[in-house]
Amino acid sequence: MLKVIAACGSGMGSSQIIKMKLEKVFKNLNIEASIYHTNVGDAKSQASNYDVVVCSESLIGTFQNSSAKNLIVIGLKNLLSEKEITEKVTEKILNAK
Amino acid sequence: MEFLMPIWAFFQENILTKPQFFIGFIVFIGYLLLQRPIYEAVAGFIKAVVGYMILNVASGGLVGNFRPVLAGLKDRFDLSAAVIDPYFGQAAAQASIEHVGRSFSMMMVVLLIAFTINIVLVLFRRYTKIRTLFITGHVMVQQSSTALWLVIFCFPQLQDIGVVCMLGVLLGTYWSVASNLTVEPCQKLTEGGGFATGHQQMFGIWIVSKIAGKIGNKEKSLETLKLPGFLAIFNENVVATGILMFIFFGIIITILGPDLMHTIDKSFGAKQSFLFYIIEKSFNFAVYLTILQLGVRMFVAELTESFQGISNKILPGSMPAVDCAATYGFGHPNAVTFGFLFGALGQFLAIIGLIVFQSPILIISGFVPLFFDNATFAVFANRLGGIRAAAIIPFFSGMIQVLGGGFAAYFFTTGNFGGWHGNFDWDTIWPAIGVIMNYGQYVGVAAVILALLAIPQLLYRSNKDTYFLIAEDYDKYLEVVESKAAAQKN
Repeated sequence: MLKVIAACGSGMGSSQIIKMKLEKVFKNLNIEASIYHTNVGDAKSQASNYDVVVCSESLIGTFQNSSAKNLIVIGLKNLLSEKEITEKVTEKILNAK
Repeated sequence: MEFLMPIWAFFQENILTKPQFFIGFIVFIGYLLLQRPIYEAVAGFIKAVVGYMILNVASGGLVGNFRPVLAGLKDRFDLSAAVIDPYFGQAAAQASIEHVGRSFSMMMVVLLIAFTINIVLVLFRRYTKIRTLFITGHVMVQQSSTALWLVIFCFPQLQDIGVVCMLGVLLGTYWSVASNLTVEPCQKLTEGGGFATGHQQMFGIWIVSKIAGKIGNKEKSLETLKLPGFLAIFNENVVATGILMFIFFGIIITILGPDLMHTIDKSFGAKQSFLFYIIEKSFNFAVYLTILQLGVRMFVAELTESFQGISNKILPGSMPAVDCAATYGFGHPNAVTFGFLFGALGQFLAIIGLIVFQSPILIISGFVPLFFDNATFAVFANRLGGIRAAAIIPFFSGMIQVLGGGFAAYFFTTGNFGGWHGNFDWDTIWPAIGVIMNYGQYVGVAAVILALLAIPQLLYRSNKDTYFLIAEDYDKYLEVVESKAAAQKN
Protein backbone atom coordinates (compact mmCIF):
# COMPACT_ATOMS: atom_id res chain seq x y z
CA MET A 1 0.00 0.00 0.00
CA LEU A 2 1.40 3.33 -1.11
CA LYS A 3 1.41 6.18 1.42
CA VAL A 4 0.85 9.51 -0.25
CA ILE A 5 0.67 13.04 1.10
CA ALA A 6 -0.76 15.97 -0.86
CA ALA A 7 0.59 19.34 0.26
CA CYS A 8 -0.12 23.03 -0.33
CA GLY A 9 0.68 26.36 1.32
CA SER A 10 -1.86 26.26 4.13
CA GLY A 11 -3.01 22.66 3.82
CA MET A 12 -6.65 23.68 3.40
CA GLY A 13 -7.85 24.12 -0.17
CA SER A 14 -5.46 23.08 -2.91
CA SER A 15 -4.08 20.02 -1.14
CA GLN A 16 -7.57 18.66 -0.70
CA ILE A 17 -8.27 19.16 -4.40
CA ILE A 18 -5.06 17.28 -5.23
CA LYS A 19 -6.08 14.52 -2.83
CA MET A 20 -9.50 14.06 -4.46
CA LYS A 21 -8.02 14.01 -7.95
CA LEU A 22 -5.34 11.53 -6.84
CA GLU A 23 -7.97 9.20 -5.41
CA LYS A 24 -9.67 9.14 -8.78
CA VAL A 25 -6.47 8.63 -10.79
CA PHE A 26 -5.19 5.88 -8.49
CA LYS A 27 -8.49 4.09 -8.79
CA ASN A 28 -8.29 4.22 -12.58
CA LEU A 29 -4.70 2.96 -12.54
CA ASN A 30 -5.48 0.29 -9.94
CA ILE A 31 -2.94 1.59 -7.45
CA GLU A 32 -3.75 0.95 -3.82
CA ALA A 33 -2.91 3.97 -1.72
CA SER A 34 -3.87 5.88 1.38
CA ILE A 35 -3.82 9.60 0.74
CA TYR A 36 -3.63 12.43 3.27
CA HIS A 37 -3.44 16.18 2.88
CA THR A 38 -1.67 18.89 4.87
CA ASN A 39 0.51 22.03 4.54
CA VAL A 40 4.05 21.95 3.12
CA GLY A 41 5.74 22.59 6.46
CA ASP A 42 4.02 19.58 7.97
CA ALA A 43 4.62 17.45 4.89
CA LYS A 44 8.33 18.26 4.98
CA SER A 45 8.78 17.24 8.58
CA GLN A 46 6.75 14.05 8.13
CA ALA A 47 8.15 13.18 4.70
CA SER A 48 9.97 10.07 5.96
CA ASN A 49 6.59 8.51 6.81
CA TYR A 50 5.42 8.68 3.22
CA ASP A 51 6.36 7.21 -0.14
CA VAL A 52 5.11 10.03 -2.32
CA VAL A 53 4.59 13.80 -1.96
CA VAL A 54 2.36 15.59 -4.44
CA CYS A 55 2.21 19.38 -4.54
CA SER A 56 2.17 22.39 -6.84
CA GLU A 57 5.28 22.78 -9.02
CA SER A 58 6.00 26.06 -7.26
CA LEU A 59 6.50 24.24 -3.95
CA ILE A 60 8.73 21.30 -4.92
CA GLY A 61 11.77 23.30 -3.78
CA THR A 62 10.65 22.63 -0.20
CA PHE A 63 11.41 18.92 -0.58
CA GLN A 64 14.74 19.22 -2.38
CA ASN A 65 16.88 18.79 0.72
CA SER A 66 14.50 16.38 2.38
CA SER A 67 16.27 13.77 4.49
CA ALA A 68 13.69 11.16 3.49
CA LYS A 69 15.35 8.68 1.17
CA ASN A 70 13.52 7.32 -1.87
CA LEU A 71 10.79 9.92 -1.46
CA ILE A 72 9.04 10.49 -4.77
CA VAL A 73 8.17 14.16 -5.26
CA ILE A 74 5.59 15.01 -7.91
CA GLY A 75 5.11 18.67 -8.85
CA LEU A 76 1.89 19.62 -10.64
CA LYS A 77 1.20 22.55 -12.91
CA ASN A 78 -2.57 22.13 -13.08
CA LEU A 79 -3.82 20.65 -9.80
CA LEU A 80 -7.17 19.82 -11.36
CA SER A 81 -5.97 18.08 -14.48
CA GLU A 82 -6.51 14.33 -14.22
CA LYS A 83 -4.56 13.96 -17.46
CA GLU A 84 -1.44 15.60 -16.06
CA ILE A 85 -1.70 13.67 -12.79
CA THR A 86 -2.14 10.36 -14.64
CA GLU A 87 0.90 11.06 -16.81
CA LYS A 88 3.12 12.01 -13.91
CA VAL A 89 1.94 9.17 -11.67
CA THR A 90 2.58 6.69 -14.50
CA GLU A 91 6.02 8.11 -15.15
CA LYS A 92 7.23 8.49 -11.57
CA ILE A 93 5.46 5.65 -9.76
CA LEU A 94 4.47 2.90 -12.19
CA ASN A 95 7.48 3.07 -14.51
CA ALA A 96 9.94 3.52 -11.65
CA LYS A 97 9.04 0.18 -10.12
CA MET B 1 -49.50 19.04 19.24
CA GLU B 2 -48.74 19.66 22.93
CA PHE B 3 -46.47 16.63 23.21
CA LEU B 4 -44.21 18.00 20.47
CA MET B 5 -43.18 21.02 22.50
CA PRO B 6 -40.75 19.27 24.86
CA ILE B 7 -39.19 17.46 21.89
CA TRP B 8 -38.68 20.76 20.10
CA ALA B 9 -37.31 22.37 23.25
CA PHE B 10 -34.86 19.49 23.66
CA PHE B 11 -33.81 19.79 20.02
CA GLN B 12 -33.37 23.53 20.30
CA GLU B 13 -31.46 23.39 23.57
CA ASN B 14 -29.07 20.58 22.65
CA ILE B 15 -28.60 20.70 18.90
CA LEU B 16 -29.85 23.84 17.22
CA THR B 17 -27.97 26.21 19.50
CA LYS B 18 -24.88 24.00 19.74
CA PRO B 19 -23.02 24.52 16.46
CA GLN B 20 -20.82 21.44 16.89
CA PHE B 21 -23.78 19.04 17.04
CA PHE B 22 -25.73 20.94 14.45
CA ILE B 23 -22.85 20.67 11.96
CA GLY B 24 -22.33 17.04 12.94
CA PHE B 25 -25.94 16.17 12.19
CA ILE B 26 -25.84 18.00 8.87
CA VAL B 27 -22.82 15.93 7.84
CA PHE B 28 -24.49 12.76 9.14
CA ILE B 29 -27.69 13.38 7.17
CA GLY B 30 -25.65 14.40 4.12
CA TYR B 31 -23.83 11.07 4.16
CA LEU B 32 -27.11 9.16 4.44
CA LEU B 33 -28.56 11.15 1.52
CA LEU B 34 -25.47 10.27 -0.52
CA GLN B 35 -26.25 6.62 0.33
CA ARG B 36 -22.94 6.03 2.04
CA PRO B 37 -22.77 3.20 4.63
CA ILE B 38 -23.92 4.06 8.15
CA TYR B 39 -20.46 3.55 9.70
CA GLU B 40 -19.05 6.19 7.36
CA ALA B 41 -21.84 8.54 8.36
CA VAL B 42 -20.99 7.99 12.02
CA ALA B 43 -17.30 8.60 11.32
CA GLY B 44 -18.21 11.79 9.44
CA PHE B 45 -20.39 12.89 12.36
CA ILE B 46 -17.55 12.39 14.86
CA LYS B 47 -14.98 14.15 12.68
CA ALA B 48 -17.29 17.11 12.11
CA VAL B 49 -18.16 17.48 15.81
CA VAL B 50 -14.57 17.07 17.02
CA GLY B 51 -13.30 19.35 14.25
CA TYR B 52 -15.71 22.06 15.27
CA MET B 53 -14.85 21.67 18.96
CA ILE B 54 -11.14 22.00 18.11
CA LEU B 55 -11.96 25.14 16.17
CA ASN B 56 -13.82 26.50 19.18
CA VAL B 57 -10.87 25.96 21.49
CA ALA B 58 -8.61 27.78 19.03
CA SER B 59 -11.00 30.70 18.39
CA GLY B 60 -11.32 31.27 22.12
CA GLY B 61 -7.56 31.01 22.47
CA LEU B 62 -6.86 33.56 19.73
CA VAL B 63 -9.27 36.11 21.15
CA GLY B 64 -8.12 35.41 24.72
CA ASN B 65 -4.44 35.74 23.88
CA PHE B 66 -5.13 39.08 22.27
CA ARG B 67 -7.29 40.45 25.10
CA PRO B 68 -4.55 41.83 27.41
CA VAL B 69 -2.85 43.59 24.49
CA LEU B 70 -6.17 45.09 23.39
CA ALA B 71 -6.84 46.21 26.97
CA GLY B 72 -3.38 47.78 27.12
CA LEU B 73 -3.88 49.70 23.88
CA LYS B 74 -7.28 50.90 25.05
CA ASP B 75 -5.89 51.93 28.43
CA ARG B 76 -2.84 53.80 27.18
CA PHE B 77 -3.78 55.17 23.77
CA ASP B 78 -7.57 54.70 23.56
CA LEU B 79 -6.97 52.51 20.49
CA SER B 80 -8.58 49.29 19.36
CA ALA B 81 -6.71 46.86 17.13
CA ALA B 82 -7.36 44.08 14.66
CA VAL B 83 -5.30 41.46 12.88
CA ILE B 84 -6.49 41.38 9.26
CA ASP B 85 -6.67 37.66 8.58
CA PRO B 86 -9.66 35.44 7.79
CA TYR B 87 -9.00 33.15 10.77
CA PHE B 88 -8.74 36.06 13.20
CA GLY B 89 -11.76 37.55 11.43
CA GLN B 90 -13.74 34.38 11.88
CA ALA B 91 -12.83 34.21 15.57
CA ALA B 92 -13.73 37.88 16.07
CA ALA B 93 -17.03 37.45 14.17
CA GLN B 94 -17.93 34.43 16.31
CA ALA B 95 -17.07 36.35 19.49
CA SER B 96 -19.14 39.35 18.30
CA ILE B 97 -22.12 37.15 17.44
CA GLU B 98 -22.04 35.31 20.76
CA HIS B 99 -21.45 38.57 22.62
CA VAL B 100 -24.88 39.85 21.51
CA GLY B 101 -26.41 36.52 22.50
CA ARG B 102 -27.03 34.99 19.08
CA SER B 103 -26.19 31.45 18.00
CA PHE B 104 -23.20 30.80 15.76
CA SER B 105 -24.99 27.71 14.36
CA MET B 106 -26.61 30.02 11.84
CA MET B 107 -23.23 30.19 10.06
CA MET B 108 -23.67 26.63 8.82
CA VAL B 109 -27.26 27.22 7.65
CA VAL B 110 -26.15 30.34 5.79
CA LEU B 111 -23.42 28.33 4.08
CA LEU B 112 -25.84 25.66 2.92
CA ILE B 113 -28.44 28.15 1.66
CA ALA B 114 -25.78 30.18 -0.15
CA PHE B 115 -24.35 27.05 -1.79
CA THR B 116 -27.85 26.04 -2.89
CA ILE B 117 -28.41 29.49 -4.39
CA ASN B 118 -25.15 29.11 -6.32
CA ILE B 119 -26.33 25.74 -7.69
CA VAL B 120 -29.67 27.20 -8.74
CA LEU B 121 -27.99 30.15 -10.48
CA VAL B 122 -25.73 27.75 -12.41
CA LEU B 123 -28.64 25.47 -13.34
CA PHE B 124 -30.43 28.45 -14.86
CA ARG B 125 -27.28 29.77 -16.51
CA ARG B 126 -29.07 30.47 -19.77
CA TYR B 127 -30.79 33.31 -17.93
CA THR B 128 -28.40 34.12 -15.08
CA LYS B 129 -25.15 33.80 -17.11
CA ILE B 130 -23.43 32.20 -14.11
CA ARG B 131 -20.83 29.61 -15.15
CA THR B 132 -19.11 28.76 -11.85
CA LEU B 133 -19.80 26.79 -8.68
CA PHE B 134 -17.93 27.90 -5.54
CA ILE B 135 -16.57 24.82 -3.76
CA THR B 136 -13.74 26.08 -1.51
CA GLY B 137 -15.09 24.80 1.83
CA HIS B 138 -12.85 26.56 4.34
CA VAL B 139 -13.33 29.91 2.61
CA MET B 140 -17.09 29.39 2.63
CA VAL B 141 -16.96 28.83 6.40
CA GLN B 142 -14.90 31.99 6.96
CA GLN B 143 -17.06 34.16 4.73
CA SER B 144 -20.31 32.84 6.19
CA SER B 145 -19.01 33.75 9.66
CA THR B 146 -17.99 37.30 8.83
CA ALA B 147 -21.04 38.02 6.69
CA LEU B 148 -23.30 36.62 9.43
CA TRP B 149 -21.93 39.19 11.85
CA LEU B 150 -22.42 41.97 9.26
CA VAL B 151 -26.11 41.11 8.93
CA ILE B 152 -26.65 40.77 12.68
CA PHE B 153 -24.85 44.11 13.12
CA CYS B 154 -27.08 45.85 10.55
CA PHE B 155 -30.35 44.07 11.47
CA PRO B 156 -30.19 43.45 15.23
CA GLN B 157 -33.95 42.92 15.45
CA LEU B 158 -34.23 40.38 12.66
CA GLN B 159 -35.17 36.83 13.72
CA ASP B 160 -32.78 33.95 13.04
CA ILE B 161 -34.81 32.58 10.14
CA GLY B 162 -34.85 35.98 8.43
CA VAL B 163 -31.13 36.43 8.97
CA VAL B 164 -30.14 33.10 7.41
CA CYS B 165 -32.50 33.40 4.44
CA MET B 166 -31.52 36.93 3.53
CA LEU B 167 -27.81 36.38 4.01
CA GLY B 168 -27.94 33.02 2.24
CA VAL B 169 -29.29 34.70 -0.89
CA LEU B 170 -26.84 37.60 -0.66
CA LEU B 171 -23.76 35.46 -0.05
CA GLY B 172 -24.77 32.86 -2.64
CA THR B 173 -25.17 35.62 -5.20
CA TYR B 174 -21.73 36.99 -4.30
CA TRP B 175 -20.11 33.55 -4.62
CA SER B 176 -21.69 33.00 -8.03
CA VAL B 177 -21.12 36.43 -9.50
CA ALA B 178 -17.60 37.00 -8.18
CA SER B 179 -16.23 33.57 -9.10
CA ASN B 180 -17.88 33.92 -12.52
CA LEU B 181 -15.81 37.10 -13.02
CA THR B 182 -12.59 35.07 -12.77
CA VAL B 183 -13.45 32.69 -15.63
CA GLU B 184 -11.73 34.75 -18.34
CA PRO B 185 -8.59 35.68 -16.34
CA CYS B 186 -8.15 32.09 -15.08
CA GLN B 187 -8.75 30.38 -18.42
CA LYS B 188 -6.29 32.72 -20.14
CA LEU B 189 -3.66 32.31 -17.41
CA THR B 190 -3.94 28.52 -17.37
CA GLU B 191 -4.58 28.17 -21.11
CA GLY B 192 -7.79 26.29 -20.55
CA GLY B 193 -7.02 24.76 -17.16
CA GLY B 194 -10.72 24.29 -16.57
CA PHE B 195 -11.17 26.04 -13.24
CA ALA B 196 -12.05 29.47 -11.89
CA THR B 197 -11.06 31.03 -8.58
CA GLY B 198 -13.41 30.70 -5.62
CA HIS B 199 -11.58 32.49 -2.88
CA GLN B 200 -11.39 35.88 -1.15
CA GLN B 201 -10.06 38.23 -3.84
CA MET B 202 -12.21 37.47 -6.89
CA PHE B 203 -13.14 41.07 -7.65
CA GLY B 204 -9.48 41.86 -7.17
CA ILE B 205 -8.42 39.29 -9.79
CA TRP B 206 -10.88 40.78 -12.25
CA ILE B 207 -9.54 44.30 -11.64
CA VAL B 208 -5.94 43.06 -12.00
CA SER B 209 -6.81 41.40 -15.31
CA LYS B 210 -8.16 44.73 -16.55
CA ILE B 211 -5.34 47.04 -15.43
CA ALA B 212 -2.15 44.91 -15.39
CA GLY B 213 -1.55 45.17 -19.15
CA LYS B 214 -1.79 48.95 -18.96
CA ILE B 215 0.61 49.28 -16.02
CA GLY B 216 3.52 47.30 -17.33
CA ASN B 217 5.01 45.40 -20.22
CA LYS B 218 4.57 41.64 -20.23
CA GLU B 219 7.82 41.10 -22.11
CA LYS B 220 9.74 42.30 -19.06
CA SER B 221 8.64 39.54 -16.72
CA LEU B 222 10.24 38.63 -13.43
CA GLU B 223 11.38 35.14 -14.40
CA THR B 224 14.95 36.37 -14.83
CA LEU B 225 15.13 37.81 -11.33
CA LYS B 226 17.15 36.09 -8.62
CA LEU B 227 15.50 36.38 -5.22
CA PRO B 228 17.39 35.70 -1.97
CA GLY B 229 17.01 32.13 -0.74
CA PHE B 230 16.04 32.94 2.85
CA LEU B 231 12.59 34.05 1.64
CA ALA B 232 11.71 30.36 1.29
CA ILE B 233 11.08 30.15 5.04
CA PHE B 234 7.91 32.16 4.49
CA ASN B 235 6.50 29.15 2.65
CA GLU B 236 5.85 27.62 6.03
CA ASN B 237 2.74 28.90 7.70
CA VAL B 238 3.89 28.55 11.28
CA VAL B 239 7.22 30.24 10.62
CA ALA B 240 5.63 33.12 8.70
CA THR B 241 2.96 33.71 11.35
CA GLY B 242 5.53 33.48 14.14
CA ILE B 243 7.77 36.08 12.49
CA LEU B 244 4.93 38.46 11.59
CA MET B 245 3.37 38.31 15.03
CA PHE B 246 6.75 38.70 16.74
CA ILE B 247 7.46 41.86 14.77
CA PHE B 248 4.06 43.43 15.39
CA PHE B 249 3.41 42.33 18.96
CA GLY B 250 7.07 42.88 19.81
CA ILE B 251 6.72 46.54 18.89
CA ILE B 252 3.28 46.99 20.47
CA ILE B 253 4.08 45.26 23.75
CA THR B 254 7.45 47.03 24.04
CA ILE B 255 5.69 50.37 23.66
CA LEU B 256 3.08 49.40 26.26
CA GLY B 257 5.95 48.50 28.56
CA PRO B 258 6.51 45.71 31.12
CA ASP B 259 4.83 47.53 34.02
CA LEU B 260 1.48 47.90 32.29
CA MET B 261 1.63 44.33 30.95
CA HIS B 262 2.27 43.02 34.46
CA THR B 263 -0.89 44.65 35.75
CA ILE B 264 -3.19 43.54 32.90
CA ASP B 265 -1.82 40.12 31.95
CA LYS B 266 -1.76 37.51 34.71
CA SER B 267 0.15 35.10 32.46
CA PHE B 268 3.22 37.38 32.61
CA GLY B 269 5.23 35.79 35.45
CA ALA B 270 6.85 38.13 37.97
CA LYS B 271 10.34 36.78 37.25
CA GLN B 272 9.88 36.16 33.51
CA SER B 273 12.12 38.07 31.11
CA PHE B 274 10.22 40.69 29.10
CA LEU B 275 11.75 39.47 25.83
CA PHE B 276 10.70 35.87 26.39
CA TYR B 277 7.25 36.98 27.47
CA ILE B 278 6.91 38.76 24.11
CA ILE B 279 8.16 35.73 22.21
CA GLU B 280 5.76 33.45 24.05
CA LYS B 281 2.86 35.83 23.48
CA SER B 282 3.59 36.15 19.74
CA PHE B 283 4.15 32.46 19.15
CA ASN B 284 0.90 31.70 20.97
CA PHE B 285 -0.87 33.13 17.92
CA ALA B 286 0.92 30.61 15.71
CA VAL B 287 -0.18 27.89 18.16
CA TYR B 288 -3.85 28.83 18.04
CA LEU B 289 -3.80 29.38 14.27
CA THR B 290 -2.37 25.91 13.76
CA ILE B 291 -5.04 24.40 16.02
CA LEU B 292 -7.75 26.42 14.28
CA GLN B 293 -6.64 25.20 10.87
CA LEU B 294 -6.55 21.62 12.11
CA GLY B 295 -10.17 21.95 13.26
CA VAL B 296 -11.33 23.63 10.07
CA ARG B 297 -9.51 21.06 7.93
CA MET B 298 -11.24 18.27 9.83
CA PHE B 299 -14.83 19.34 9.35
CA VAL B 300 -14.38 21.09 6.02
CA ALA B 301 -12.79 18.04 4.36
CA GLU B 302 -16.16 16.30 4.60
CA LEU B 303 -17.91 19.32 3.16
CA THR B 304 -15.59 19.97 0.21
CA GLU B 305 -15.68 16.36 -0.85
CA SER B 306 -19.46 16.33 -1.17
CA PHE B 307 -19.45 19.75 -2.90
CA GLN B 308 -16.96 18.45 -5.44
CA GLY B 309 -19.20 15.42 -5.98
CA ILE B 310 -22.21 17.64 -6.59
CA SER B 311 -20.24 19.85 -8.96
CA ASN B 312 -19.17 16.83 -11.04
CA LYS B 313 -22.53 15.14 -11.01
CA ILE B 314 -25.24 17.68 -11.65
CA LEU B 315 -23.44 20.52 -13.32
CA PRO B 316 -21.61 19.44 -16.48
CA GLY B 317 -20.53 22.44 -18.55
CA SER B 318 -19.97 24.58 -15.49
CA MET B 319 -16.60 25.25 -13.90
CA PRO B 320 -15.54 24.59 -10.31
CA ALA B 321 -14.27 27.70 -8.51
CA VAL B 322 -11.39 26.63 -6.29
CA ASP B 323 -8.63 27.91 -3.99
CA CYS B 324 -6.52 30.74 -5.42
CA ALA B 325 -3.33 28.72 -4.84
CA ALA B 326 -4.35 26.50 -7.76
CA THR B 327 -3.14 29.29 -10.06
CA TYR B 328 0.39 29.36 -8.60
CA GLY B 329 1.60 26.50 -10.76
CA PHE B 330 0.96 28.70 -13.79
CA GLY B 331 3.09 31.58 -12.56
CA HIS B 332 6.79 31.62 -11.86
CA PRO B 333 7.63 30.91 -8.18
CA ASN B 334 9.21 34.39 -8.16
CA ALA B 335 5.80 35.92 -8.80
CA VAL B 336 4.41 34.44 -5.60
CA THR B 337 7.30 35.75 -3.47
CA PHE B 338 7.27 39.08 -5.26
CA GLY B 339 3.59 39.63 -4.54
CA PHE B 340 4.11 38.80 -0.88
CA LEU B 341 7.04 41.24 -0.55
CA PHE B 342 5.40 44.18 -2.27
CA GLY B 343 2.10 43.52 -0.52
CA ALA B 344 3.98 43.61 2.79
CA LEU B 345 5.64 46.87 1.82
CA GLY B 346 2.25 48.41 0.99
CA GLN B 347 0.69 47.11 4.21
CA PHE B 348 3.51 48.36 6.43
CA LEU B 349 3.45 51.82 4.87
CA ALA B 350 -0.32 52.04 5.29
CA ILE B 351 -0.04 50.93 8.93
CA ILE B 352 2.53 53.67 9.57
CA GLY B 353 0.06 56.03 7.90
CA LEU B 354 -2.71 54.92 10.29
CA ILE B 355 -0.47 55.70 13.27
CA VAL B 356 0.71 59.05 11.92
CA PHE B 357 -2.82 60.20 11.20
CA GLN B 358 -4.02 58.96 14.60
CA SER B 359 -6.57 56.46 13.39
CA PRO B 360 -8.78 55.10 16.21
CA ILE B 361 -7.83 51.57 15.18
CA LEU B 362 -4.50 49.88 14.72
CA ILE B 363 -4.12 47.20 12.04
CA ILE B 364 -1.79 44.24 12.34
CA SER B 365 -0.82 42.31 9.21
CA GLY B 366 -2.14 38.78 9.01
CA PHE B 367 -0.42 36.15 6.93
CA VAL B 368 -3.29 34.93 4.75
CA PRO B 369 -4.24 38.20 3.01
CA LEU B 370 -0.63 39.32 2.87
CA PHE B 371 0.49 36.17 1.15
CA PHE B 372 -2.43 34.59 -0.70
CA ASP B 373 -4.12 37.73 -2.08
CA ASN B 374 -0.97 39.49 -3.17
CA ALA B 375 0.75 36.38 -4.50
CA THR B 376 -2.33 35.67 -6.62
CA PHE B 377 -2.41 39.23 -7.92
CA ALA B 378 1.30 39.03 -8.77
CA VAL B 379 0.82 35.80 -10.74
CA PHE B 380 -1.88 37.38 -12.90
CA ALA B 381 -0.10 40.75 -13.07
CA ASN B 382 3.23 39.25 -14.14
CA ARG B 383 1.58 37.36 -16.99
CA LEU B 384 -0.19 40.45 -18.31
CA GLY B 385 2.07 43.32 -17.32
CA GLY B 386 5.43 41.87 -16.35
CA ILE B 387 7.61 42.82 -13.42
CA ARG B 388 6.30 46.39 -13.15
CA ALA B 389 2.69 45.34 -12.76
CA ALA B 390 3.69 42.50 -10.39
CA ALA B 391 5.29 45.06 -8.08
CA ILE B 392 2.87 47.99 -8.31
CA ILE B 393 -0.40 46.07 -8.02
CA PRO B 394 0.41 44.06 -4.85
CA PHE B 395 1.87 47.23 -3.31
CA PHE B 396 -1.40 49.12 -3.70
CA SER B 397 -3.39 46.04 -2.81
CA GLY B 398 -1.48 45.94 0.49
CA MET B 399 -2.41 49.54 1.24
CA ILE B 400 -6.05 48.91 0.36
CA GLN B 401 -6.10 45.83 2.61
CA VAL B 402 -4.98 47.89 5.61
CA LEU B 403 -7.17 50.93 4.97
CA GLY B 404 -10.31 48.96 4.02
CA GLY B 405 -9.75 46.43 6.78
CA GLY B 406 -9.18 49.21 9.30
CA PHE B 407 -12.39 50.90 8.31
CA ALA B 408 -14.34 47.63 8.50
CA ALA B 409 -12.93 46.52 11.86
CA TYR B 410 -13.79 49.95 13.27
CA PHE B 411 -17.22 50.44 11.68
CA PHE B 412 -18.45 46.88 12.31
CA THR B 413 -16.78 46.80 15.78
CA THR B 414 -14.94 43.47 15.33
CA GLY B 415 -11.89 45.46 16.46
CA ASN B 416 -13.26 44.89 19.98
CA PHE B 417 -12.32 41.24 19.54
CA GLY B 418 -9.10 41.87 17.67
CA GLY B 419 -9.81 40.73 14.13
CA TRP B 420 -11.19 41.39 10.69
CA HIS B 421 -11.47 39.14 7.64
CA GLY B 422 -8.84 41.20 5.80
CA ASN B 423 -8.75 39.59 2.33
CA PHE B 424 -9.07 41.91 -0.64
CA ASP B 425 -12.80 41.57 -1.42
CA TRP B 426 -13.51 41.89 2.31
CA ASP B 427 -11.60 45.18 2.47
CA THR B 428 -13.36 46.65 -0.54
CA ILE B 429 -16.70 45.36 -1.78
CA TRP B 430 -17.92 43.77 1.49
CA PRO B 431 -17.44 46.80 3.76
CA ALA B 432 -19.32 48.72 1.05
CA ILE B 433 -22.12 46.14 1.08
CA GLY B 434 -22.16 46.35 4.88
CA VAL B 435 -22.50 50.13 4.88
CA ILE B 436 -25.27 49.95 2.28
CA MET B 437 -27.08 47.34 4.41
CA ASN B 438 -26.63 49.43 7.53
CA TYR B 439 -28.14 52.62 6.09
CA GLY B 440 -30.31 51.23 3.29
CA GLN B 441 -31.72 48.30 5.31
CA TYR B 442 -33.88 45.94 3.21
CA VAL B 443 -33.88 48.24 0.21
CA GLY B 444 -30.10 48.30 0.39
CA VAL B 445 -29.85 44.51 0.46
CA ALA B 446 -32.18 44.18 -2.51
CA ALA B 447 -30.21 46.82 -4.42
CA VAL B 448 -26.92 45.01 -3.74
CA ILE B 449 -28.31 41.66 -4.90
CA LEU B 450 -29.73 43.17 -8.09
CA ALA B 451 -26.52 45.06 -8.81
CA LEU B 452 -24.49 41.86 -8.36
CA LEU B 453 -26.82 39.91 -10.65
CA ALA B 454 -26.47 42.59 -13.34
CA ILE B 455 -22.68 42.04 -13.57
CA PRO B 456 -22.74 38.70 -15.46
CA GLN B 457 -25.42 40.13 -17.77
CA LEU B 458 -23.15 43.02 -18.73
CA LEU B 459 -20.23 40.64 -19.15
CA TYR B 460 -22.35 38.45 -21.43
CA ARG B 461 -23.43 41.37 -23.58
CA SER B 462 -19.86 42.41 -24.32
CA ASN B 463 -19.03 39.05 -25.99
CA LYS B 464 -22.10 36.95 -26.60
CA ASP B 465 -20.66 34.32 -28.93
CA THR B 466 -17.69 33.25 -26.82
CA TYR B 467 -19.09 33.80 -23.33
CA PHE B 468 -20.00 30.18 -22.60
CA LEU B 469 -17.46 28.72 -25.03
CA ILE B 470 -14.45 29.93 -23.03
CA ALA B 471 -15.64 27.90 -20.06
CA GLU B 472 -16.74 24.83 -22.00
CA ASP B 473 -14.11 24.36 -24.70
CA TYR B 474 -11.03 26.56 -24.59
CA ASP B 475 -9.42 25.30 -27.81
CA LYS B 476 -12.55 26.03 -29.77
CA TYR B 477 -12.71 29.43 -28.11
CA LEU B 478 -9.20 30.23 -29.38
CA GLU B 479 -10.20 29.17 -32.91
CA VAL B 480 -13.23 31.46 -32.87
CA VAL B 481 -11.18 34.39 -31.55
CA GLU B 482 -8.51 33.85 -34.20
CA SER B 483 -10.95 33.59 -37.08
CA LYS B 484 -12.63 36.75 -35.82
CA ALA B 485 -9.31 38.60 -35.75
CA ALA B 486 -8.53 37.38 -39.26
CA ALA B 487 -11.92 38.52 -40.51
CA GLN B 488 -11.32 41.94 -39.06
CA LYS B 489 -7.98 42.27 -40.85
CA ASN B 490 -9.52 41.63 -44.27
